[in-house]
Amino acid sequence: MDLSVRLGALELPYPTLMGSGCYGSGEEYSPLVDMRGLGGIVLKSVTRQPRLGNPTPRLVQTPAGMLNAIGLQNPGIDWYLEHDVAKFAMRPCKMIGSVAGFSVDDYAYVTERLAARDEISAIELNISCPNVASEGETFACDPQLTARVVSAARSMTGKPLIVKLSPNVTNIGAIACEAEAAGADALAVINTVRGMSIDVATWQPRLGNVTGGLSGPAIRPIAVLAVYEVARAVKIPIVGQGGIETIADALEFFLAGATAISIGTANFTDPRIPLRIVEGLTEYLTQRGLNSIADLTGKANRGFANPFQYEGDEG
Amino acid sequence: MPTTESFAAVHATTVLDRTELAPGVILLGFYAPQLVRVTRPGQFVMAVPPAGERCATALGIYEAQDERASILFFVCGPRTRELAQVGVGEHLAITGPLGNGFDLSGGARNVAVVAGGVGIASVLLPAKAALAGGARVRLYYGARTEVLLVEREKFAAAGCEVLCATDDGSFGERGYVTELLARTRDVPDLILACGPSPMLRAADAVAEHIGVRAQLSLEETFACGVGGCWGCVVPLDRASAQAPAFPGPAAGGSDVVFARICKEGPVFWSDELRW
Repeated sequence: MDLSVRLGALELPYPTLMGSGCYGSGEEYSPLVDMRGLGGIVLKSVTRQPRLGNPTPRLVQTPAGMLNAIGLQNPGIDWYLEHDVAKFAMRPCKMIGSVAGFSVDDYAYVTERLAARDEISAIELNISCPNVASEGETFACDPQLTARVVSAARSMTGKPLIVKLSPNVTNIGAIACEAEAAGADALAVINTVRGMSIDVATWQPRLGNVTGGLSGPAIRPIAVLAVYEVARAVKIPIVGQGGIETIADALEFFLAGATAISIGTANFTDPRIPLRIVEGLTEYLTQRGLNSIADLTGKANRGFANPFQYEGDEG
Repeated sequence: MPTTESFAAVHATTVLDRTELAPGVILLGFYAPQLVRVTRPGQFVMAVPPAGERCATALGIYEAQDERASILFFVCGPRTRELAQVGVGEHLAITGPLGNGFDLSGGARNVAVVAGGVGIASVLLPAKAALAGGARVRLYYGARTEVLLVEREKFAAAGCEVLCATDDGSFGERGYVTELLARTRDVPDLILACGPSPMLRAADAVAEHIGVRAQLSLEETFACGVGGCWGCVVPLDRASAQAPAFPGPAAGGSDVVFARICKEGPVFWSDELRW
């Protein structure tokens, strides 16, 4: 069974990416997983300057998920290019660089330098970061800022550009349209959902950073809806992500409109889950007499009954 | 704690025995011959129960002999509650061994092993290794109350001298185990410690006071357990051999880096921690 998919010019043998920040540089998981069975690894985000990251605790377990606030700890692009990137050539799957920043220029600068390396097959823009120039507003939460960041990165590379959208917005479809118009080749939907947890024994927030990003099965329905909405708004492919643990979860995302999926938090429970999902997809497509992932993508996406009924769903 | 090659793998194990050592204190033995062969003292595993939310829990490897390894834990939250439900004959997914263990290569002759509460779970293998290396080993073991001083006979049977302290004075000395260590006239040449953070900080202070180097096995919430997520960091002197190999922020100009407890640790030299 051919499970290959394309995200712009990026060809993946399997539709399974490992989520940024969950899989380190790939080296950490190499003793545990046969990486030939992975579609690709989205690397941990890198920034212009080195970052120490957030104070601990950086992780909190929550019902059906977890909160994290790592704070983009990374060595900075100079050190990264000099010491880390060459090692990526050894991995038997596609390596996708992840770029984060705090200004439009940061994204352009880091994208240009990282995308120039042969070891990197594509770039994911992690735009869920605060923009220093506009009082810390998150790039991904503002259509114009999203457009500017994506345009700036687009002008620096011809390699496939995946833009990771935040669910912490009112209209994710509108942001998706801006990213597409600005030159994105694909959209990763969704990043983590903002959240917090308070220790009632100490009356203190549990995370050192106070707030964090919620991931895991707890956010899956939020993510499925976001993929569904984005798929109606854009023509470029979508990488669906948010709490995928099983083949059934993966199918939901494809049916909602995803071309590929990304697995993050589930690797923490069992690093073989991505391989099992590929096996499950082969079996499923065979049983159903289908030929490819494209036979699933968006097949449940028939719009909303009517806007008034949709509003009422929340009640 | 020299970083050595990782022999970690995902093992589908079967539970061989389950003992409730005290109310809420569980010892689970499981069949894992491959894990046993490559385990070094002080390493840990990520254990995933077959039912429930199936979250991975990081636990020190308590015993590893022949074909059986074991974990020992206190039921204290949703993850350990699920683990406590696993019965004999059931399956337990175990990823490991992970991390770098205790370093006994220095040839210490008189080793103080300090354990607080569930910290006992990570110190049996290093105590036995030190004994096997010809060292004299004294276990300083503290808990809230006598019933929680589990497995102390096992350490005695292995050849350790066992000194206990309890918060309520129900067994051994009343007070903290680190106070016992601070008062000792039998000054060790190496301290190995595992327990709650306040105890480890106290052990760190005692070690500095009596002029003995200490290795501390730290705990923090882990997500991945293999170094992939950078969630479990601790501030470490940049000059440490265990410091991750990249510079910290240039702007800070600091001599401190964040090391991953799961990957660079969980055991660190106390005089290299900057916590």
